[in-house]
Amino acid sequence: MSKVNLKINGKTVQAPAGSTILEAARLAEVDIPVLCHHPKLANLGSCRICLVEIARQPNLHPACTYPVFEGMEVQTESPRVVEMRKFVLDMLFSERNHHCMYCEMSGDCELQNLAYRYRMDRWSFPSPHPHMPVDATRKYFLLDHSRCILCRRCLRACSDLAANHTLGVKNRGADTMICADMDLSFGESSCVSCGTCLEVCPTGALVDRRSAYMGRTAEVQRVRSSCAACSLGCGVELVVRGGQVLRVESDWDRHNEGVLCVAGRFEPLEQTREKITRPLVRRDGQLQEATWVEALDALVSGLRQAAPGGIRAVTSGAVLSEGMNEFVNFFKGKMGVPVHLLEPALAGSELAADGGLKDVDAADFILVAGGDPLASHRVLGYRIKRAIDKGAEVWLVSGKETEMAHFAARCLGLAELDSAVAHCMESRSPVVVYGADLTAREAGRLARLRGKARFIPLAPSPNGHRAQVLGLEPAAGWAGAKALFVLLESALLQEGWLQEFRRPQFLAVYASCRSPLTDQADVVLPALQWYERQGTFINMEGRNVDVHQAVEPGGEGWSVQKLFDRLSGCMT
Amino acid sequence: MFTKILTRNFDQPDLHEMEVYEKLGGYRMIRQALRRHTPEEIVQMVQRSGLRGRGGAGFPTGIKWGFIPRNSDKPTYLCVNADESEPGTFKDRHIILHDPHQLLEGIMVSAYAIQSRRAFIYIRGEMAREAAILNDAIAQAEKKNYLGHRIFGEDFDLQIQVVRGAGAYICGEETGLLESIEGKRGQPRTKPPFPAVCGLYGCPTIINNVETLINVPHIVANGPEWFAAIGKDPRNTGPKLYGVSGQVKRPGVYEFDMTITLKELIYDVCGGLTENRALKGVIPGGSSVPILLPEEIDVAMDFDSLAARGTMLGSAGVVVIGEGTCMVRVARRVAQFYAFESCGQCPPCREGTAWLHKILQRIESGGGHPGELDLLAEICDNMKSHTICPLSDAAAMPIESYIRKYRAEFEEHLSRPGCACS
Ligand SMILES: Cc1cc2nc3c(=O)[nH]c(=O)nc-3n(C[C@H](O)[C@H](O)[C@H](O)COP(=O)(O)O)c2cc1C
Ligand code: SF4
Ligand code: SF4
Ligand code: SF4
Ligand code: SF4
Ligand code: FES
Repeated sequence: MSKVNLKINGKTVQAPAGSTILEAARLAEVDIPVLCHHPKLANLGSCRICLVEIARQPNLHPACTYPVFEGMEVQTESPRVVEMRKFVLDMLFSERNHHCMYCEMSGDCELQNLAYRYRMDRWSFPSPHPHMPVDATRKYFLLDHSRCILCRRCLRACSDLAANHTLGVKNRGADTMICADMDLSFGESSCVSCGTCLEVCPTGALVDRRSAYMGRTAEVQRVRSSCAACSLGCGVELVVRGGQVLRVESDWDRHNEGVLCVAGRFEPLEQTREKITRPLVRRDGQLQEATWVEALDALVSGLRQAAPGGIRAVTSGAVLSEGMNEFVNFFKGKMGVPVHLLEPALAGSELAADGGLKDVDAADFILVAGGDPLASHRVLGYRIKRAIDKGAEVWLVSGKETEMAHFAARCLGLAELDSAVAHCMESRSPVVVYGADLTAREAGRLARLRGKARFIPLAPSPNGHRAQVLGLEPAAGWAGAKALFVLLESALLQEGWLQEFRRPQFLAVYASCRSPLTDQADVVLPALQWYERQGTFINMEGRNVDVHQAVEPGGEGWSVQKLFDRLSGCMT
Repeated sequence: MFTKILTRNFDQPDLHEMEVYEKLGGYRMIRQALRRHTPEEIVQMVQRSGLRGRGGAGFPTGIKWGFIPRNSDKPTYLCVNADESEPGTFKDRHIILHDPHQLLEGIMVSAYAIQSRRAFIYIRGEMAREAAILNDAIAQAEKKNYLGHRIFGEDFDLQIQVVRGAGAYICGEETGLLESIEGKRGQPRTKPPFPAVCGLYGCPTIINNVETLINVPHIVANGPEWFAAIGKDPRNTGPKLYGVSGQVKRPGVYEFDMTITLKELIYDVCGGLTENRALKGVIPGGSSVPILLPEEIDVAMDFDSLAARGTMLGSAGVVVIGEGTCMVRVARRVAQFYAFESCGQCPPCREGTAWLHKILQRIESGGGHPGELDLLAEICDNMKSHTICPLSDAAAMPIESYIRKYRAEFEEHLSRPGCACS
């Protein structure tokens, strides 16, 4: 790529042709303030805080949008520029209510930081601040219009990243306000609570309800990890203070590019189920707290009575690879017991899992067959909607009613799968997204597209891929089982599964939360909570992603590895 | 002696009917353009004619057309700016009402010159009647295959579509206009990229004013030298429409070359002020330009002479203000317009216009504070050339000029409520 030579504040810089002044300044380690600019969003150039002076040009220009040219000379903090910045800040501060001491964002606010940087010591335009509403109709976060600076980062995040197009702008001039849909309350709007807007807001306008006032950037730790709510394995950062996860933010450098969904960002912290923190053993028909030694004793005797032939073992596909390996080693390897998978599995193990979110971005045609990414793998769903916005064509082949149907160019029944396959053959860079509703025969029909299309499986469980590698299949029933061990962790059980479930003579469950299954168990072994565990799982791209422990275990929960290490000792 | 060119037929009855327009020589110039000239030739003719945009900024039209990238694989669009929302401006409406076919012919020749097969007329939402007239004229032209596939039997296709605005002044700004045609909220885009490179739907786009385009066929028919000889100054060529309103005896749209002075326009053409009152000031080019005092009106109504007087030809909407009008009130009313019309993207404009209005309202009602005139001047100064589009400048420049030129009147308002004028 060709380079352009320019000078920023007298410093010589070489920047790739086509860069903006802001990008060149970052190369030169010159800090130009920004408000509407966000590195992952399209530039708008509207806040005017980044205006700089370019030699021999009469007007100031926004550094975030203005392209560099050979021989350009830029001043980023000249008196004229500084006066302008102060004016913009004056205007923003006098616009709405910025009494920082009452603001959740104080200390972390990009607007407040600039006020310090440019030494604002008073309001130049004192006035009673207009009364602005707070929209608190949304479950997980609120919008306080009195702190909004109308930078429209939220709007661009909603439209361009989440592709949800909920946010817009209403009114004009100083009456301009951010609004949802055609001016609905956020609670009633089409918002899917992905929280992307919340994360890009530079001020205290969009506020996470749960973690509000619980810690500033300087007071918290951040732990990089992966969301294990589905098989996408989106990058997350867990914001932790005092042994508590305050909130989940996204890791902007991973394949999800800053976007998460409600299941990854908010729901994990909405602890409605009772945590299991100590082992439980059934005595006199009642589950009672016990020590690990007592629980292991009860477990060993329960398993021994069933003899190898009567034991069954089942794991959730949400369990991390290290634990799942250990589990399979113990039951299948050491005890010769068949191990099954709790969740359904994908048909079509012969189909590759060679596609990723980047392929969706580059696709001209996306075939979604036998699943609904907007329900089960939402960030993938958003990414598909994003591709549609950029011109990709999506066909949906499904036997069910799905959310994706609103966005697909064509919706076909499963019987018409072949015409979709034919269309796929004719496209340039197709992607096939396939789900668990496909039968093995239908999946077989997709196999024709191998080599032509990239495949993305919608595995019904986060680590379903590992389960597949280990050869685990869903159990066809529990006939003949005398003792059953369920490695559940924090997985949720399907209604239907529970209805069909017949309790064997002996039931042991390893779980982090109370559920109808643990209530029936003879032995309940406390698992680590999702934020206490450490390990990896295989995401939908077939890559290992890391899950990091965010806080020290609070209860007596053991990791799966520790459990089976001890159990092996007891059984020999 | 200037003979009318653009408006010469305006008093012919039923000029909006195709037969009448053709009988008077209409649609000959487009035939001539298609048969005798290549598109490049027409662009060069327009360049040589010195034609400058009539929409406000006076940018040379031929030079603008030259910015369209060659060898682009994208289509080129022509957008006709008929938004005409600038207070005091009504010349484009006048053209459309009287002579819609002349505009269509202007569009045809210009579209051919820039090789655009789709043209859009973006018309102010309130002008429902004018939009209907245009649609009717387009239907007449389509029927005769003057629009559509291979127009006039030549190797050129053209479709013209009327798009009605929804009541925002900012949609007259060229990129706000593009957003609006695309069906989005009308708000200007940051430049660069400029529309000639990346405009409507990301394609090369030329935006021209209605009056600008109706000059083009005349340039092709009579030659650029003929056009450049109209007027005295090679930088201010061709005929020009002036819309005069306010306290004059004969308000209206008048066509002259640009040698006419503001004084002649007011006193000779429009018959002077109503009730023969004394002149207090004149806005020479729509509400966005600085005001001129009575002693400053002996000035040619061209781009450069007015610029030399510290104001602008703008949209050539001349607003005449007589003695007895309160300038604080004028200022407040103008500020109110811009505060209401700011699209709300840039803080200097969004808040600047609001503060100008708020403070002027206070001063008008007698609640102003000493020092606020300087504050107003400071706000105006910071609002200029710091925003995405020039609406912010357009709000600041006139207010600045009112305060500078009528400062005593503003100070009087600060010292007591009410007004000596009324
Ligand atoms: C706020 C604002 C409003 C404008 N309104 C109009 C308008 O109503 N009609 C118009 O022709 N130009 C208007 N303009 C100027 C256009 O942006 C543009 O310069 C013009 O249409 C170009 O045409 P021309 O080169 O033929 O003059 C406006 C500009 C601004 C900043
Ligand atoms: S949003 Fe920022 S500037 Fe405004 S009150 Fe909060 S901390 Fe202060
Ligand atoms: S949470 Fe997501 S969908 Fe809802 S408004 Fe924010 S970005 Fe849009
Ligand atoms: S809510 Fe936040 S991100 Fe959205 S416009 Fe307001 S300040 Fe910007
Ligand atoms: S200057 Fe005013 S009208 Fe123009 S883009 Fe900025 S806010 Fe909108
Ligand atoms: S950061 Fe450049 S204009 Fe807002």
